Amino acid sequence: MEKLNILSQFTSRFPSTEIDGLSSMANSARVFLSGNDFPTTRVERFKYTRLTKLSNAQFDGSAVTSISDFRKHQICPDALAIFVVNGHVYLPEIKVPNGLIIEDISSAKSLPSSSMKDVFAAMNVLHAQSGVSVHVAKNTVIDSVIEIVHVCTGSYAGFTRNQIFIGENAQAKVVMTYVSEQTKACFSHVHTSIEVGKRAHFNMEKVQMESSDLFSFSDEEVWQGADSVFQINTLTLDGNLVRNDLHIQVQGEHAETHLNGMYMLNGQQHVANYTTVDHQVANCESNELYKGIMDDKSIAVFNGKVFVRQDAQKTNAFQSNANVLISDDAGVNSKPELEIYADDVKCSHGSTTGQLDDEALFYLRARGISERGATQLLLTAFMSDVLDKITVPSVKEKVFEVINKRFNWELTL
Amino acid sequence: MIKIENLHASIDGKEILKGLNLEVKAGEIHAIMGPNGAGKSTLASVLAGREDYEVTAGSIDFDGTDLLELSTEDRAREGLFLAFQYPVEIPGVSNINFLRTALNEIREYKGQAQISAKEFMAMVREKSAIVELDSKLASRAVNEGFSGGEKKRNEIFQMAMLEPKLAVLDETDSGLDIDALRIVANGVNTLKSDQNATIVITHYQRLLDYIIPDFVHVLYDGRIVMTGTKELALELEEKGYDWIKESIDA
Repeated sequence: MEKLNILSQFTSRFPSTEIDGLSSMANSARVFLSGNDFPTTRVERFKYTRLTKLSNAQFDGSAVTSISDFRKHQICPDALAIFVVNGHVYLPEIKVPNGLIIEDISSAKSLPSSSMKDVFAAMNVLHAQSGVSVHVAKNTVIDSVIEIVHVCTGSYAGFTRNQIFIGENAQAKVVMTYVSEQTKACFSHVHTSIEVGKRAHFNMEKVQMESSDLFSFSDEEVWQGADSVFQINTLTLDGNLVRNDLHIQVQGEHAETHLNGMYMLNGQQHVANYTTVDHQVANCESNELYKGIMDDKSIAVFNGKVFVRQDAQKTNAFQSNANVLISDDAGVNSKPELEIYADDVKCSHGSTTGQLDDEALFYLRARGISERGATQLLLTAFMSDVLDKITVPSVKEKVFEVINKRFNWELTL
Repeated sequence: MIKIENLHASIDGKEILKGLNLEVKAGEIHAIMGPNGAGKSTLASVLAGREDYEVTAGSIDFDGTDLLELSTEDRAREGLFLAFQYPVEIPGVSNINFLRTALNEIREYKGQAQISAKEFMAMVREKSAIVELDSKLASRAVNEGFSGGEKKRNEIFQMAMLEPKLAVLDETDSGLDIDALRIVANGVNTLKSDQNATIVITHYQRLLDYIIPDFVHVLYDGRIVMTGTKELALELEEKGYDWIKESIDA
């Protein structure tokens, strides 16, 4: 009974959503919430993530809304940028190319229904205040990067809901930027639905650099059509408790899926990446590569699931998670999972966690390179294959800038 | 150049070097030979500052500096170079990037300006030619996928780039065919000057046909037990080490 109280106490602070497109899901969200408690580590999905800090946190709602210049948070100077500040959408006047519609999600007519994977996903349906809708018409190639900048300020707590639709044979790149400013404690949950049409190409760079007092939850639900190519790079560079849920349903044949992630943690950070790639049809390929470096007392969680359904013959699915601990107090919980119901597939998964190679360190030092310099060379080398996946140059520059600043590294591209 | 006196060193509590004395002057090449387990590689490791080894007594004066007081990187910056018996593969770190970092850190230590990209690349071309190292290898990841011979040539290439005062070649000949051996030896001979010195650690006399030593020392049971000229190496090749062991142990 007490657990339910924590959940209702937690949800009671959020106003009801006014996004019409969500009403059809409201009932199942309510049913889900009434049947579940606020998650403890006894719940499989939160086994490694204690949420007591979140349930105990005080969000007085004193959000700073008078920040005049959000633009400074924009990573790509030439991007078509939209800002979501404390759950409110700010659409600057931008010239949008033909075939592209960017609007407040409240104006979007219908929204794809999402799964109730946990209480936060359900709460999002009932309490999302706003969000961005990006619609790329079929056969449209958007050359500019579209950047959605999520800013949390003050002591904000709330839900945001985005949707991205990439029509048949269309092509686009989105940068999802997560930042914060003048925060005390913040809680932010962002849901993004992504539909990638037949033969469409869609690339997303998710850059998380919120401050160390932020509880940042986000989930992406992706549907991929035939012959489509989807890539997402999840780059976690800061934050207090960061949780990423990525769920990809591969529904059309000959689709390609690439999901990469890097996390560089220090202090007491906790970052969890939960991914699911659900191969429902034949002849598809997915590649997953997540790499992390953990310092101080930081903890990383990786839980990657790949389903290969009975009909998904000739699937090639690869998954890898590698971690380097550079402190004795840092930790990793890595759980790669494969569930295969088809019999003619190529799948592999692996997970490694270790420390830097002492022999390599000694070799570099024996050539006159300082211990710090040698460590940086080795860590950069470790991360290089993930860094190489970043397709937007200014994102890569930003990643290096943040690493330089936070870890006092002098990395160069 | 370097003066080692009464050096005692141990690993995991086991004493390996038991009072080693050795002096090498600028312009000289010294060969250190000895049976397996005599302490040859331990000497190389202790000189380079490998932390697994504990120096329990003795001193090493390196051109006026107390070598044992220096970190591994500072020893390299002061001009000590160790050519590894087993060069380490470092995936993801390019040879070029690694060498530029090393060169610039050494320059910074000496209060010199960083090397320009153009100057550096010219140097890479010139020095890789000395050991006939394909410029493609120079830009690949450090030792990754290199053959045994390429790894050893890469060691000498690095030595050429860093221009050390004292080079210690630890079993550089092991695993080399005669062509690679000739190339490596030629590299070492090309880099020799009256300003620098070389210590060649080897089990076999073969390398010394190509790198002619001024002195040959026999290391046995943690000490230099015999010193001669290159003829001593030939004698060891012919007679093995047993006669030395017998005369010492007797």
